[in-house]
Amino acid sequence: MDIDHYSVVAFAKSWGLFYLIALAVGVTVYAFWPGNRKRFDRAKKSILDKDDRPGGENDGN
Amino acid sequence: MISRLTVSERHLALFVLGALALAGLAMAVGGRGDPLAVHGVIVLAASLGLGFLVLSALFSPEPGESRLAEYYDDPTKAGIVLSLAWAVVGMFFGVWVAALLAWPELTFVDSAWASFGRIRPVHTSGVIFGFGGNALIATSFHVLQRTCRARLPDQFSPWFVLIGYNLFCVIAASGYLMGMTQSKEYAEPEWYADIWLVIVWVVYFLIYIRTLARRKEPHIYVANWYYMAFILVVAVLHIVNNLALPVSFGHAKSYSLFSGVQDAMTQWWYGHNAVAFFLTAGFLGMMYYYLPKRAERPIFSYRLSIISFWGITFMYMWAGAHHLHYTALPQWVQTLGMTFSVVLLVPSWASAGNALATLNGAWHKVRDDATLRFMMVAAVFYGLSTFEGSFMAIRAVNSLSHYTDWTVGHVHAGALGWVAMITFGSLYALVPWMWKQERMYSPKLIEVHFWLALAGTVVYVFAMWNSGIIQGLMWRTYNDSGTLAYSFIDSLVAMHPYYIARAFGGLLFLTGAVVCSYNVWMTIRMARVARVPAKGDVPLYGAAQAGE
Amino acid sequence: MKEFFHRRIERNAIGFVLAIVGVASIGGLVEIAPLFTIHETVEAAPDMRLYTPLELAGRNLYIREGCYACHSQMIRTLRDEVERYGPYSLAAESQYDHPMLWGSKRTGPDLARLGAKYSDAWHVAHLINPRDVVPESVMPRYGWLQRNPLRIDDLGEHLAAQRAVGVPYTDAMIENATADARGQANPEAAESSGVTERYGEATNVRVFDGNPSLVTEMDALVAYLQVLGQLTGAAHQETAGRQE
Repeated sequence: MDIDHYSVVAFAKSWGLFYLIALAVGVTVYAFWPGNRKRFDRAKKSILDKDDRPGGENDGN
Repeated sequence: MISRLTVSERHLALFVLGALALAGLAMAVGGRGDPLAVHGVIVLAASLGLGFLVLSALFSPEPGESRLAEYYDDPTKAGIVLSLAWAVVGMFFGVWVAALLAWPELTFVDSAWASFGRIRPVHTSGVIFGFGGNALIATSFHVLQRTCRARLPDQFSPWFVLIGYNLFCVIAASGYLMGMTQSKEYAEPEWYADIWLVIVWVVYFLIYIRTLARRKEPHIYVANWYYMAFILVVAVLHIVNNLALPVSFGHAKSYSLFSGVQDAMTQWWYGHNAVAFFLTAGFLGMMYYYLPKRAERPIFSYRLSIISFWGITFMYMWAGAHHLHYTALPQWVQTLGMTFSVVLLVPSWASAGNALATLNGAWHKVRDDATLRFMMVAAVFYGLSTFEGSFMAIRAVNSLSHYTDWTVGHVHAGALGWVAMITFGSLYALVPWMWKQERMYSPKLIEVHFWLALAGTVVYVFAMWNSGIIQGLMWRTYNDSGTLAYSFIDSLVAMHPYYIARAFGGLLFLTGAVVCSYNVWMTIRMARVARVPAKGDVPLYGAAQAGE
Repeated sequence: MKEFFHRRIERNAIGFVLAIVGVASIGGLVEIAPLFTIHETVEAAPDMRLYTPLELAGRNLYIREGCYACHSQMIRTLRDEVERYGPYSLAAESQYDHPMLWGSKRTGPDLARLGAKYSDAWHVAHLINPRDVVPESVMPRYGWLQRNPLRIDDLGEHLAAQRAVGVPYTDAMIENATADARGQANPEAAESSGVTERYGEATNVRVFDGNPSLVTEMDALVAYLQVLGQLTGAAHQETAGRQE
C-alpha cells in the first residue's frame, strides 16, 4: 500500500471530527426547520388514525 | 394460505423452490464426506416439501381483485408464530447452557452435539436471530403497510423473506450441533448460509423500498427509518465480517479473509453494531410504532426521535473498539471507540426518555395494562443498559469487567429487559389486531408473564453483576507479599452460587415465554372458532374505516 | 403530474437509503481502514513459524468445539494478567490467524501461553474428563476426540486456502500436508523427518494421544494446544525489553 499509515490515521482523526460536527448541525437544522413542522406533526398523529385499509381515504385530514 | 397467491405467484414460487432444490442437491452431492452434505439434504427436503404444498394448491381458484383493498398480513401472522417457537427453543437452550456451568455433567455423556461449546451458539442465534429476527420481520411488514397506507408490493416476496430467513436459522442451528462454525461471535454460520442470507436480505430490502415508493403518506414515519437502518446496516456488516474463502465448494469450512488484529477489529465492529442495528435500531422501530399506538398517544417529540435516529446511526459505528481495550489493537482506536461509546449515551437516552415521556399522562393505562407495562419496562431497561454500556466502555472500568460475567449480565439486561420485553409488548398488541380479536385470550396470563419476565431478568442480571465483579476483583487481588492472591479455579468456585441463580432467573424467563406462546396459541384458536369477525373489529383500528 | 409526484417520492426514499448507508459506513471505515496499513507499525516477528497441518487441524477442532467461547487468547497489558498468564499478547503473534481467536470471555483461563506448560498426557486426561485432573472444573468432557480418527486427506486443500488468504505456506508444505500430519503424530514413521525440515527444529513431533497407530482428533487438538504462544519469541523479548 502506497499511503503511509500515519497519514491515514491523521486523516481519520481530523476529518472524522469535522464530519461529526457537520452531521450534528445538519440533523439539528433538519429537525427544527420551520417548513418541516407540519409534516412532522402530521406524521406523529397519523399512525393513530383509525384506518385498516390501504389507500388514501385519509388524505387531506 | 397458498390459495391466496395469484397463479403467476404460485408459478414463481415453484420455480424458486425448484432452483433451491437443485442447490440443495448440489450441496448434498458436492459435500459428500463433509457435514455440508447434511445441509444439502435439509435444503433439498425443505424445498421439496414446500414445493409439494404449492403444487397441492396450484389449481385452486385465483383470489379476486378485492385483495388489493386490504393489507397483506399472512406473512406477519406466520412470523409471529415462528418468532415464539424460536423464543421457546432458544431460551430452552439458554437455560441448558446456564445449568451446564453450574452442573457440568447435566448433558448426554459423550454426545458431541450436546456439549456446551456447540449448544451455546444455538442459544445465542436462536434468541437473537430466531426470536428477535422473526419478530422484526413480522412487525416490520405490519408497520410498513400501516404507516405507508399501502399494501405490500406482491405476495410472494414476503414469504420468500420469511421462509428463507428461517431456513437460514435452521441451517445455522443444526450446523452448530454438528460443529460447523466460523467462530465469529454472532456471525457463526458458514459461507453458504451467509450467501443465502444476503439473497434473502436483498429481497427484504426491495420489499421495503417498493412499499415506500407506493406510500400514500407524504412523510416516511420514523419507525420505518429504524427498520430501514436495521436492514441496510446489517447487510453491510454481514457482508464485510463474513468475507471468507471456503476450503473448496465441497467443504463447509472456510477461512476468514482477515487475520489477527484486522480480524478482531472487523469482528467487533460487526459484533457491536449487530447490537446497535439488529438489537437496537430494529426494536426502536417497533417501539416507535407500538408504544404510541397502544398508549393511544402520539410520540412525545417527533424531532427528538429524528435527532436520536441520526445520532445512533452515526455513532454506533465507531464504538466497536471498546471490546478490545488493553489488547494488541492500537491505542488510538481504543480511545476513539471509548469516546464514541460514552457520547452514545445522549441519543440512547433521548430515545428512552422520548418513550417514557409519551406515557406521561397515561400512567393509569400502564398500571392496568400489562402489555403497555411490558413496553414501559423495556424503555427503562433500554435506558439502564445503554448507560451501563457507556460506563463499561471506559477503559478503566473495562479492565475490570472485560472477560467476566459482567459482560454477560450487561448483554442480558439489554436482551431480556429491552429486546424481549419490547417484543412481547408489541406482540401482545399485534396479535389481537392480526387475528381480529378484541383482546388476547387471557389478559391475566399476560400479567403472569409480565411478572415472570421481570423477576427472571432481575434475578439474572443481579447474579451476573455479582459474579462478574467478584471474578474481576479476584483476578487482580494481590496478597501482602505482592503475589496474586487467588488461582483461577478459586474464582470459578466462587461463581457457583451465582451460576445457579442465573439458571433459575433464565428458567423464570423461559416459563414466561411458554405462557406467552400458550396465550397466543389460544387467541389464534379463538379466532378460528369464532370465524365471524368480532364486533368492533379491534380496539384501535375499529369499525370506523370508511366515513372518517 | 401524478407520474412526476410518484418519481419524486421514489427518489426521496432512495436518497434516504443512501444517507443511512453513508452516515453509517464512515465510522467503520475510519476505524478499520488504518488497520490495513498497520503492518508498517507492527512489531516484526522474524522467527515466526507457521502452524503445521496437524496443528491447523487442531485449531479447527478448537473452533468446532467452541473452545473460544470460554477461553481467550489475548493477554491484556495489565500487571495481573501478565503475572498470571505470561507476557502480554502482540499483534504479530496472531498475524497468521484466520480467523483470530482472541475471545471475549474467560469462563476458563486465558490460553495464549498454554503451550509447553503441561504434558501431553495431562491434556489428554483433562480433555477426556476435566474433573479427573481439576476436581472443581466445569469444562465439558471431550471423550470423542480420542476415538475419532482425524480427517487428514484434505489438509493440502486447507493449507492452499490459507495461502490464498495470506499465510505463506510453500508448495512443498501444501503437497506434503497429509504426510506431515501423519509424521508429526508418530516420530517412528518415515514421514516424520519432513515435518521438522519444513516447519523448523522446534516443532513438536510426538505421539500426542498415546496411540501411535492412529492419527486422532485428540492428536491434533493437543498438538495445537502445545504450540499456543510458542510460534514466536517476540512477546518474551518485548516484555524483557520493557523491563530494562
